[in-house]
Amino acid sequence: MLTRVWEHTLGEVVQWARVNSPWALHFNSGSCNGCDIELLATLTPRYDVERLGVKLQGSPRQADLLVVTGAVTRQAKDRLLRIYAQMPEPRFVMALGSCALSKGIFHDCYNVVGPVDVFIPVDVYVPGCPPRPEAIIAGMVALLGKLQAAPAAEAQT
Amino acid sequence: MTEVLALLIFPGGIALLLAALLYEWINRKLAARLQNRVGPRWFQPLADLVKLLAKEEIIPQGAQPVLFDLLPIVSLAAVTTAALYTPLFGLAPAGSFPGDLIVAVYLLSVLSLCTSLAGLITDDRYALVGGLRVLTQLFSYEAPFLLALLLPALVAGSWQISVIAAYTSEHTWLLLTQPVGFVVAVIGLMGKLELPPFDAPEAHTEIVAGSLTEYSGRGLALFRLSRNVVLIVGLTLIAALYLGGVANPLLFFAKTLLLLVGVTIAQMLFARLRIDQTVGLWWRFGVLLALGQWLLTLLGKAVA
Ligand code: SF4
Repeated sequence: MLTRVWEHTLGEVVQWARVNSPWALHFNSGSCNGCDIELLATLTPRYDVERLGVKLQGSPRQADLLVVTGAVTRQAKDRLLRIYAQMPEPRFVMALGSCALSKGIFHDCYNVVGPVDVFIPVDVYVPGCPPRPEAIIAGMVALLGKLQAAPAAEAQT
Repeated sequence: MTEVLALLIFPGGIALLLAALLYEWINRKLAARLQNRVGPRWFQPLADLVKLLAKEEIIPQGAQPVLFDLLPIVSLAAVTTAALYTPLFGLAPAGSFPGDLIVAVYLLSVLSLCTSLAGLITDDRYALVGGLRVLTQLFSYEAPFLLALLLPALVAGSWQISVIAAYTSEHTWLLLTQPVGFVVAVIGLMGKLELPPFDAPEAHTEIVAGSLTEYSGRGLALFRLSRNVVLIVGLTLIAALYLGGVANPLLFFAKTLLLLVGVTIAQMLFARLRIDQTVGLWWRFGVLLALGQWLLTLLGKAVA
């Protein structure tokens, strides 16, 4: 009984921490750079995502949220998989922009092998070409809401 | 019993760690406000810490598993031990013996040594470069920082932190009589903490995350925590030695927070130095300034 209560409280605390501190890693898998610029604009003082605890990390080992921009090219596919494999659990993926969602304007390119969710599981999709910073923030909030709604026991594992 | 409580809960242990997280938040919030941002919420450092502690810990291929786990623990243990000898929260230090100033300063350096070793034991090339940079930087700021902290010891005629603090609270602030030493000490502390402009060891735009690139969960959390503890202990030391001592909690918070504001503004003002510029700065100016102040002080003592 006591251990159950203890485990439940621990799960809640961990879940609270996870919702409040998503560190992001940005990976460009073949974007035209429009989405990358919008993502960087989201980090500028005007939009300031540090309010939500989001910090851009350089190392995949230290990130919780992988933000992928652009359709996946043949060259970037292996790197995308490797970076995803390097991230520690729990990890989340955000697909940013029409290209990441559905190959967008690059849909019939000879070197494009697919949208992001063909290769790695995607937790939140942010459409737009490119999405505005407001849309990116809305996507992050949606992801955090999803984390919050998950049962606490799940958060603990 | 009360001794154990004092070590584990207040003023050492938990209270120290919570205060360290609080100081990290003040530092980050102030930096954000200086950049016209809203900045993190007050519980941000705590949330980061808990999240990192609960994350998966990956031991990369090619790393020394035992050392990989041990280094963060050793660094946190060393810096919390250093905190025992400083007048934290304006209370008398938990332990005190003649010469504890030197012990405390070298215990604070264990953090840099462990960070560097953490980079050197992995196969990751970014971590290797980061580890070497940490070591290079350690060798450049360590001597001037030590010289600057030993100046008050010279003036007070003792190597014991509590004796020096008692001396400084009775006389004019050493900040006024030894301004150069004060400046070198504050900049040395910034070098120790790898704050900008001395953040070449963890330059995100060049070498990913420096020597901590391979650390994911618990190890990273402990390293971050020990850096915060170094921040608060270093501020306490400088406030006690240069700003007329920290005789009660009110004075402690007033003086250390004032110092923290100064450090944050300096951190926002300057751009990152290249690693060779850092070394040049310390050995061309830092050491000479500190030594000049030593000479002046010695002359003053001889004349008086
Ligand atoms: S969605 Fe638009 S802006 Fe983004 S990578 Fe594709 S083409 Fe560029």
